[in-house]
Amino acid sequence: MEPLLHVEKLKKYYPLTGGVFKRKIADVKAVDGITLDIFKGESFGLVGESGCGKTTFGKTIIRLLDPTAGCIYLDASKKVLDEIQELENSSSPRDSKRLKELIKEHDIATFRRKRLKRLRRRLQIVYQDPTTSLNPRMLIKDTVGEPLKVQGLAKGKDLRERVMKMLKRVGLTESHLYRYPHEFSGGQRQRIAVARALVTNPEFVMLDEPTSAVDVSVRGQLLNLLRDLQSEFDLTYLFVSHDLSIVECISDRMGVMYLGKVVELAQTTEIFKNPTHPYTKALFSSIPVPDPTKRKESAPLTGEVPSPINPPVGCRFHPRCPFAMDICRKEEPPLIDIGNGHFVACHLMQK
Amino acid sequence: MEKTIESRELLDVKDLYINFYTYAGVVEAIDGVNLLLKQGETLGLVGETGCGKSVTSLSIIVLVPPPGVIEKGDILLNMEDRAINLLKQRDRALMKIRGADISMVFQDPRGALNPVYTVTQQVGEALLLHRKEELCKRVLQELERDIQEANTFKRFIYNCEKKIYEKMMNTRRRSASLNALSKIPIVNRYQGRLRNEIRKEVVKLLKTMKIADPERVVDMYPHELSGGMAQRVVIAMALSCDPRLLLADEPTTNLDVTIQAQILLLIKELKEKMESTILYVTHDLGVVAQICDRVAVMYAGNVVEVADTLTIFKNPSHPYTRDLLNAIPRPGKEFKSIRGEVPALINPPKGCRYHPRCSKAMPICAQVKPKLTEIEEEHYVMCHLYER
Amino acid sequence: MKAKKARSESPTIKELKFIVTRIKKSPLSLVGIAVIAFFVAIALLAPILAPIPEGQEDPYRLMHYGWTSEPQPPSPEHLFGTAQYQYDIFYGCIWGTRTAFRIGIIVVAGNLIIGLIVGTLAGYYSGVIDELLMRLTDIIWAFPGLLLAMAFAATMGPSLDSIVLALILVGWPSYARVIRSEMLRVKQEDYVEAAKAIGCSDLRVITRHILINSIYPIIIMASLDTGAIVLSAAALSFLGLGPPPGYADWGQMISLSRGFIYKNAQDPLGYWFTWTYPGIFIFTFVLGWNLLGDAFRDILDPTLRRR
Repeated sequence: MEPLLHVEKLKKYYPLTGGVFKRKIADVKAVDGITLDIFKGESFGLVGESGCGKTTFGKTIIRLLDPTAGCIYLDASKKVLDEIQELENSSSPRDSKRLKELIKEHDIATFRRKRLKRLRRRLQIVYQDPTTSLNPRMLIKDTVGEPLKVQGLAKGKDLRERVMKMLKRVGLTESHLYRYPHEFSGGQRQRIAVARALVTNPEFVMLDEPTSAVDVSVRGQLLNLLRDLQSEFDLTYLFVSHDLSIVECISDRMGVMYLGKVVELAQTTEIFKNPTHPYTKALFSSIPVPDPTKRKESAPLTGEVPSPINPPVGCRFHPRCPFAMDICRKEEPPLIDIGNGHFVACHLMQK
Repeated sequence: MEKTIESRELLDVKDLYINFYTYAGVVEAIDGVNLLLKQGETLGLVGETGCGKSVTSLSIIVLVPPPGVIEKGDILLNMEDRAINLLKQRDRALMKIRGADISMVFQDPRGALNPVYTVTQQVGEALLLHRKEELCKRVLQELERDIQEANTFKRFIYNCEKKIYEKMMNTRRRSASLNALSKIPIVNRYQGRLRNEIRKEVVKLLKTMKIADPERVVDMYPHELSGGMAQRVVIAMALSCDPRLLLADEPTTNLDVTIQAQILLLIKELKEKMESTILYVTHDLGVVAQICDRVAVMYAGNVVEVADTLTIFKNPSHPYTRDLLNAIPRPGKEFKSIRGEVPALINPPKGCRYHPRCSKAMPICAQVKPKLTEIEEEHYVMCHLYER
Repeated sequence: MKAKKARSESPTIKELKFIVTRIKKSPLSLVGIAVIAFFVAIALLAPILAPIPEGQEDPYRLMHYGWTSEPQPPSPEHLFGTAQYQYDIFYGCIWGTRTAFRIGIIVVAGNLIIGLIVGTLAGYYSGVIDELLMRLTDIIWAFPGLLLAMAFAATMGPSLDSIVLALILVGWPSYARVIRSEMLRVKQEDYVEAAKAIGCSDLRVITRHILINSIYPIIIMASLDTGAIVLSAAALSFLGLGPPPGYADWGQMISLSRGFIYKNAQDPLGYWFTWTYPGIFIFTFVLGWNLLGDAFRDILDPTLRRR
């Protein structure tokens, strides 16, 4: 399968300024070196607690934020990626010139202005809270039609028709066109947000906890809609969430993040059947199960979630890890393949 | 008519009606809620946004914010020798009850803490209000010991302090003379003893909350605390005066999952140790399954089903409870939801408020509101399907 | 096929309706509105209430009714009496209302435009631009408006334009600050980021998304300010920096009465009509705007909204 997005060593740091002259004193290392692939047509789940960087990662790969370092290859065939790999290893000037050309063409981390603006129609986002993600003083028809207008994809009657079609597809009607967001319920607002994201026919949509602000009794409708739209429009999803039960049901592959790095990556069914990283295990067993016969007797994880300003040296999880060894305090474990497409970043695996 | 309460019951909410008078209209937020809490149990109050669970818990401590008005109802609290109706108490009496007999833990820990006071000052405030006598007694004991060991000059000073503390212990309100004394610069150092006692007590409380290094934490300000620690401080504040009833309004919703697990475990341990009664408000069915003995399910301002936790999960009777449990996502299956939306309570549906979304609705459901009936022991349902 | 326009209440209309209900409940704001409405009526009906004398082109020039320097008390011909050099006080007060509105509107508009530009740029782009613009704002804010007005009067000659210009140039900093803080607040909302995610240009984001959602504090400011501006203009006028004597402007008219505050020992307040009538007009006008601005602030304050 071809990766739609190939992310290489992606970093996103936020500088912290302080002092009288506002000099940089430290970095918030929100995303600190992530390499992974997201394949075409799949639904990739990304989980982790607050401060792990999952939202930052998603917003960076759709270029809402500018990456501090690393590459993001959009829709580059395996041949191109291999070629880039080869050229990076060589040192001849002709190769480096060719490398620069390839990077300029495929690495969206380098895109600016006009190319970046055109990129926006291919990568979209649905926010967590539909109350704040829709302009309260803009009519629905304008909110959903704005992407088409700004991207120059449609005008006048054509635009109106496309907006109408999109709204009908998410379950709203023509009478909703001339209304304002405050007249809708949370679930309906989120559907409007989905319509806005999909009206330009994007290839990739980042869903930032799209159901957490929606009532439990209505979540299912939204999730079913997202699933149907994915197969109908051939979309690739990045589903960021802290709600493991939803991620288990909607994503094909899944990644677990901790303090800016991916600690485990595998098929969803595989991860839930066989969680390997100590953090993943602790995370899964921390979720309260809605079954009173399955009560827990001990808290799986002690200590506080550390801040991404000064992550621990070596493996970031070692201060809270019940299996920490000497090497964990010194060296950061790489993400290694333990078979079946299951990747884990833990020194325990290297034995 | 005398309102009575059984000795094994702690709290009895009878026929509570609360309306909110907003500029958009009258919101009938609570529509005849009945709840019973037994001594030592943890009752979970479950429901979605807008169902009225937070308002119910606020009404128990009589802190419903305007434009909310408690239209009618009784909330009886069992105070060992008698039962008092919280809704008929005057402000002064309520102030004594809040913190000492009933205390509350809120959703946002950092919002519940005043950012300009240290942990000691905040937890100490509750101690000072309700446990002053006990603390003064301890100070007096300490003073007795000091008096015996000291020389003449110090003895004189200690005796003065003793008189001050005895006065403090015996007066209920702040006396003018004590007030004046506390403002004189060097003389008011007598307060140092009380402050020390408070600090020791706070450290002890924080240790019970399993906070690491409590000596250091007591002097911190709220912004220096992480979410989990802040919530523990708030729980310490709530439990500092050994309340009969603890109201917890979604205390772990804003916390990370691993921290939530720690706090839930802490609550479980405290429950056993202190035998406290807890009303736990949440929308998370998983949390309910973990720590609650009994569960009350609310929908649109009504309590629709009450039963013990096992029964609610294994044998849910009210259609809403069933639909809610069905909506929990299961891998490999399609997502289920309940058709329609949570109703706006300005013009609530007539009859049973759930009937527009109920798959088992009958004609009577749209006209007559069902009553809460007991279908088996300790299992109550508000639904026409079960009314005989 | 035309889409059916089922127009529903826009949030702005909803807010306006809410404001109207609140206004009805607050007596002071009703007084404020009544006062302002009264003055608007006077301004509109000026040609009827105080007809322009024959042959005069500029309605703002007060007519001489004789040349005696002593002011004459109110009489049937001159309802408020005449001021020094026999200018009709009634005529001056009525047409002075129009002048007051002109000053108020032009200065507020000027302040708004400059404030909007500076505040928007500073708030939206932050960083160095923000620092530079804010320091400029601080400097202008500290600048004494009186000195500037005097400088303009000296170079351009004292006139209405010079005080209007001076007031515009020193009045915008407070607007810039308010707009900047609103910009900073709204900038962080999700829908602004969503607009950027669609590819909206900065200009579109600012106009279509941010400014539309932050106009209320500015409305409050503008209404509170109008009263203060007219007061300042009257003061500058009184000092002689404004329009020449004989112009229908309240400050000017008070300046005409400078020498006639005290008549003589037997009748100390004999010339009361020269300064009382213009004074009442100024006082009531400014009071009206202040009440209105205060009422707006209380009504639109989100923390008090629920009640």
